[in-house]
Amino acid sequence: MDAVTGWWDDYFWGSMVVLQVFIFSLLLMVLFGLIGAAAKLSDNRVAQKISAAYTVIFRGTPEILVILLLYFGSAIFLTSVAQVFNPEIKFVDVPPMWAGTFAIALIVGSYATETFRGAFLGVKPGSIEAARALGMSNLQTFVFIRIPEMWRLALPAFGNHMLSLIKDTALISIIGLNETFFVAKQAIGTTGEPFTMYIVVGAIYLGFSTIITLTVMGLEKFGLRTTEGAR
Amino acid sequence: MIFDLSLIADSIPKMLAGIGITFQLMALSAFLGLILAVILLLMRISGKWYLSWPAQVHIYVFRGTPILVQIFIIYYGFPQFEFIRESIFWPILREPFGCAVVALSLNTGAYVSEILRGGVLGVDRGVLEAGSALGLSARHKFIYLTTPIAARLALPAYSNDFISLMKATSLASTITLMDMTGIARTIVAQTFAPYEIFISLAIIYMVLTWGIQKTFGRIEKYLSRYVKP
Repeated sequence: MDAVTGWWDDYFWGSMVVLQVFIFSLLLMVLFGLIGAAAKLSDNRVAQKISAAYTVIFRGTPEILVILLLYFGSAIFLTSVAQVFNPEIKFVDVPPMWAGTFAIALIVGSYATETFRGAFLGVKPGSIEAARALGMSNLQTFVFIRIPEMWRLALPAFGNHMLSLIKDTALISIIGLNETFFVAKQAIGTTGEPFTMYIVVGAIYLGFSTIITLTVMGLEKFGLRTTEGAR
Repeated sequence: MIFDLSLIADSIPKMLAGIGITFQLMALSAFLGLILAVILLLMRISGKWYLSWPAQVHIYVFRGTPILVQIFIIYYGFPQFEFIRESIFWPILREPFGCAVVALSLNTGAYVSEILRGGVLGVDRGVLEAGSALGLSARHKFIYLTTPIAARLALPAYSNDFISLMKATSLASTITLMDMTGIARTIVAQTFAPYEIFISLAIIYMVLTWGIQKTFGRIEKYLSRYVKP
């Protein structure tokens, strides 16, 4: 383990990049999941079809392919857009971090769509009737009745989605994101100890997964505190 | 931004040449992973701490780390040690294909054993009591009652994991293996036409996913043929 000594700070900054990607992709993932679930539950047939296509496409293709497509694809797309305004521009570089964040949020968002849809369907009709009887508006019902009831139902599966998200950040290193994996590659170049360096990466990810698992367990306990008798 | 159709027509046969490797990786890892999963499951439900602990550690570690890290540790990491290079496993661990199979099997084994455990825990107690009343031993109850029912209960989740495994085989392209994704990345590096190549490859993978779903749907129907609707 002596070889790792000089690399701890690099690993630390690498982990911060992982954390940053995780947080931004988590926000985007929830957004995509909610939009997808809303579209699936709506009466609009076009919205239903689009949402169904979204889940089929992103659940059926390998993650690495989506990341590569979004990274290289967006670079080409932006280049052609930029060339319309300024033909001098040869190539527009897309930061791998944003292409990657967007890609993994899209992928995991397609799984979250199904989770959220199921959770919204799990809200008891009686609760909604009660809200109507109290004279709540649709928005009030959504914020005070549907959301508090639905997030508890969604939480176990949502915890798994967060784990997929943190593990998928490792794939962004393929398109050159400067995270722990990338640090390991540099460290191997100078020390020649690939096993040690990759084990450190594994340990960092294991730490992140453990934190997420424990957080979800705590939240589940918190969510069930009022329904203890019912279960 | 115009789709080059002739390029797609050119490259699809090239990519399909790699489908064999994808299938080999998938079938071998699914088979070895299932064996490992059953072993891990038996270790976990054995009730003996010295068997159940190693199984739980394996599951925890392999579910908590990205599969890419696992592949890299096995392919790039293991050759760091002299004793691995001199061991009998070296012919397997020297080849990227062997490494990919080992990594994918260890990974999918951890996930599948959790799925199987869910199936075993879902078996109705009444059935096992009926078995006891008939005088079946614990082993016979496990083989004749728990196994068929648990297999049926676990199948929907298993089919999802099978699809994840199929998608994970594409990661073998990161350790120089020329599967469909590996070939696609080479073509893109030569032509720089990511849209055409990657989208057509995505469609190939989606067809595979669809096929797996249909196949498992049939198996599920067959296994639940005597279940009351």
